[in-house]
Amino acid sequence: MRILFSIGLLFFFFKDNDAPLKTMVQPPEYYVLEWQEGTQLAEEKTDFYIEIDSMGRQDVHALLNERSVPVLYTADISTPVCADGECKLMNIKFYWTLLGEYAGFDRYPMMPLTKHDHDEFKEKDYQKLHKLLEDDKNLMGRREMEQLVEKPKMRTVNGVDAVSGATIARVKESVVSGALYSCYTAWHLVHGDIQEQLKANTLSILDKQMTLDMLYSINPEYQIFSMENMETTDYKEHYEQLAKVFRTSTPLVRSIIIKRLTGKFKDKPDLQKPFWNAFDQLDTSSRSLMIKYLNEAPDYVSEVLSEKLGSMSKNQLKGFLSYLAENDALNTETRNNILEFSKSKSQTYAFLAEEFLEDL
Amino acid sequence: MKLSNFLFVLSFLLICGSTFAQDILVEAESFDNPGGWTVDPQFEQQMGSPYLLAHGIGEPVKNASTVVKFESNGEYHIWVRTKNWVPGEWEAPGRFQLKVDGKTLDTILGLRSGWGWEYVDKISVSNREIDLELVDLTGFDGRCDAIYFSTKNEEPPSSSKKLAEWRKNVKSEPNAPSITKEYDLVVVGGGLAGCGASIAAAEQGLKVALIHDRPVLGGNASEEIRVHTLGIYGNFERILKKIDTEHYPNGSADAKLDQKKRDDNVKSYENIDLFLNYRAYDAKAENNSIQYVDARHTSTGERIRFVAPRFVDSTGDGWIGFWAGAEFNYGRESSEAYGEVWEEHGELWTPTEPDDAVMGSSVLWGSKETNAVQEFPEVPWAMPVAKEYARVAGEWQWEFSSPDHNQIDDAEDIRDHMLRAIYGSFANAKKDSLNANRKLEWVSSLVGKRESRRLVGDHIFTFNDAKEGRKFPDGVVIEVRDVDIHYQTVLEDEENPDFISEALFYKTPEYYIPYRSLYSKNISNLFMAGRNFSCSHAGLGGPRVMRTTGQMGAAVGFAAALCEKYDVNPREIYTGYLDEYLALIEEQKFEKIPESKK
Repeated sequence: MRILFSIGLLFFFFKDNDAPLKTMVQPPEYYVLEWQEGTQLAEEKTDFYIEIDSMGRQDVHALLNERSVPVLYTADISTPVCADGECKLMNIKFYWTLLGEYAGFDRYPMMPLTKHDHDEFKEKDYQKLHKLLEDDKNLMGRREMEQLVEKPKMRTVNGVDAVSGATIARVKESVVSGALYSCYTAWHLVHGDIQEQLKANTLSILDKQMTLDMLYSINPEYQIFSMENMETTDYKEHYEQLAKVFRTSTPLVRSIIIKRLTGKFKDKPDLQKPFWNAFDQLDTSSRSLMIKYLNEAPDYVSEVLSEKLGSMSKNQLKGFLSYLAENDALNTETRNNILEFSKSKSQTYAFLAEEFLEDL
Repeated sequence: MKLSNFLFVLSFLLICGSTFAQDILVEAESFDNPGGWTVDPQFEQQMGSPYLLAHGIGEPVKNASTVVKFESNGEYHIWVRTKNWVPGEWEAPGRFQLKVDGKTLDTILGLRSGWGWEYVDKISVSNREIDLELVDLTGFDGRCDAIYFSTKNEEPPSSSKKLAEWRKNVKSEPNAPSITKEYDLVVVGGGLAGCGASIAAAEQGLKVALIHDRPVLGGNASEEIRVHTLGIYGNFERILKKIDTEHYPNGSADAKLDQKKRDDNVKSYENIDLFLNYRAYDAKAENNSIQYVDARHTSTGERIRFVAPRFVDSTGDGWIGFWAGAEFNYGRESSEAYGEVWEEHGELWTPTEPDDAVMGSSVLWGSKETNAVQEFPEVPWAMPVAKEYARVAGEWQWEFSSPDHNQIDDAEDIRDHMLRAIYGSFANAKKDSLNANRKLEWVSSLVGKRESRRLVGDHIFTFNDAKEGRKFPDGVVIEVRDVDIHYQTVLEDEENPDFISEALFYKTPEYYIPYRSLYSKNISNLFMAGRNFSCSHAGLGGPRVMRTTGQMGAAVGFAAALCEKYDVNPREIYTGYLDEYLALIEEQKFEKIPESKK
């Protein structure tokens, strides 16, 4: 009885689906996207909602920009979190991106989240929750709650005892200590069926400007989506932004750009320059992938890369040098750069350059 | 040195003008007593030979020793073939020295970048023999391939091509092995697939050779790598129960219990000749039919030629197919190639443009609590990989794959990258006072691979075959396990450690692998079983686990028996004898009634 009453009471005070729609002028407190000063987003009703047991429908709203197109989706959520027969209400405002991915949350200062022992979440706990919700592949997505509270099996055969149920241990590491049930509930709300519905809604209203806006976002999902939907002419027109994305985004985004670099800019080789110039600022995997595309690269690339030999791994250097040998792509400047590198005492792979020059 | 070991210390006379030079090459893996060093044959195809590895997980291992006999006394120059496995601005981690007749030579070895020769010293031989020892200084994976003595001060070649030729000359090794053995079926690779194939074929009366480059069977499931077996038994429960594992945590020493079971069971078949510690190094095909496979003992160097009408490639890396000229694939097909799209995970599942990415290799490890404080040395050479990561054990997520590394050509670098990740992460964990008594207990020195070459068969098994539960008339392998593809977490965030992976699981209905994915499309007498079976990258995601690969092995073993019965090639079982083959497999589901009880 006590449980039902407390839920009903809270619902009465705080849940009001008919409240007037607001304008948002500040970013969510925990947020994965960028927020430009002066942004104003107008809330608008949608047909979407999340059904929560004993709480009913929780409406999802779109947040519209000055062009009156959505840039985010949001929902005020009140949901019971039950553990060991005791239920509490969790109140939180979630945000989703246009692609239905988690975008952030707001807490309600008067209704802090609490742990199993009733302690309130501290700042670091909210941050951990934010990080957890960002992790769309968290293994809790494939596990029932009951599976996560099992004790991991420990074996002690022949003295080795440090290996344990990897999955459970890994999930537990990712959740707020003492708040497994809240975290589990929040994660499944954010990553539930609503995601697909929101993405489908976005696709139904997608226009070119929305696609390009995504390229100018810091969100890798947006960047990838944008590149998938851009025309080849857009690649050329926005090559500077692509180069910026290339330098600043994730290795996954870079890999997609690298695979398209020589093809999309085939007739505009100069536009590739900022990408090849960035070679030594990239992660090693991206550099390796670039080396694999040398055969399709403009002529000037040999010289550009010969100035960056010190950033190459052993295999990258081997790949670059064998490209030069096989393609007769060695001009004087490139040769001099390799010669200088081969004489360096501090370069681990200087011997490869030395062998290369010997074999010429 | 025993007389029988002379094979590896063959000397030859080099005529140089009017002077004679004597040269002796001592292969480290052939030492009389390896002491605490272990023979590592994993990278023979890349760096030229098995070698001795001082894998002491931080504590120097016992000396390896041998006796070297000389044709004549005199002054000899000594070189050692070695490498610094982590070149950089720190003291090399794998340092060692030579000891000759009880005297340690000053030169510190294991310092050069890349495999090659380091000059040691000049010694005087007066009794036509010396006692030679390798003295490990660190316990951190020093490596010695060979020691070369020469009266002439001339360094042997380093380039791999010249070295192989030079080795042959020094050892006066003829091209063909002097021993030839004939079998009904030759199975190369003693993982679960190879064991399953051997047992199934042997039970049908075939004389089988099982060649495996380790001292124990099981591959990734062995006590040396310690991955538990997953998947279902399908049609082959009785056989697979002889060789699989319990569901212990990956890396658990429980693997030792299943090791004994597996080895005992395979050895119990009289018509399986088990060639442990033999590593295949060549396969010769004529008219697209393999004539023989050559293998070499990983310590003694003894070579054997295996002749058979049919062969099974269960090497994992598809070596037999590769040498024989079988078609194969490596890397990820584009999402369009077979329509293997999973929108939710996009590029991470299958890329828009094809690439060379594959799932990575794992090196498992563990530590234990003790009753006293345990020191662990500083490992500055490990830190550029481990960074701030701190752990006391590894699981399947400890996995490495990158566009900079081919899982076959760069396997040694991959293993070494994982060793740096492990030692560095453990060193970080030791900084926590809670781990003061914790001791590094076990670190594998073997790479547990997930994916490399995939040989091409008449059918290429894809993600969609699994996703849709496609039924095939020859669906001999059954699985229900999710399709599970790994990717490196560093792809999504550069701050993540590059040696930790994440899994994407696609829930499937029951699915089937057709027999046509288990023999080569263009090499007429070659079966394949295990992770090198005919599949796409995404298709491999489900059936790459070891009960499933064991099923493939058993399915192939029974097919081989019918091939023998009718003197036909693998494809003809599908085209001409499928009913009999399926009936034979169906029989496996039931225990036979003993003759006495009929």
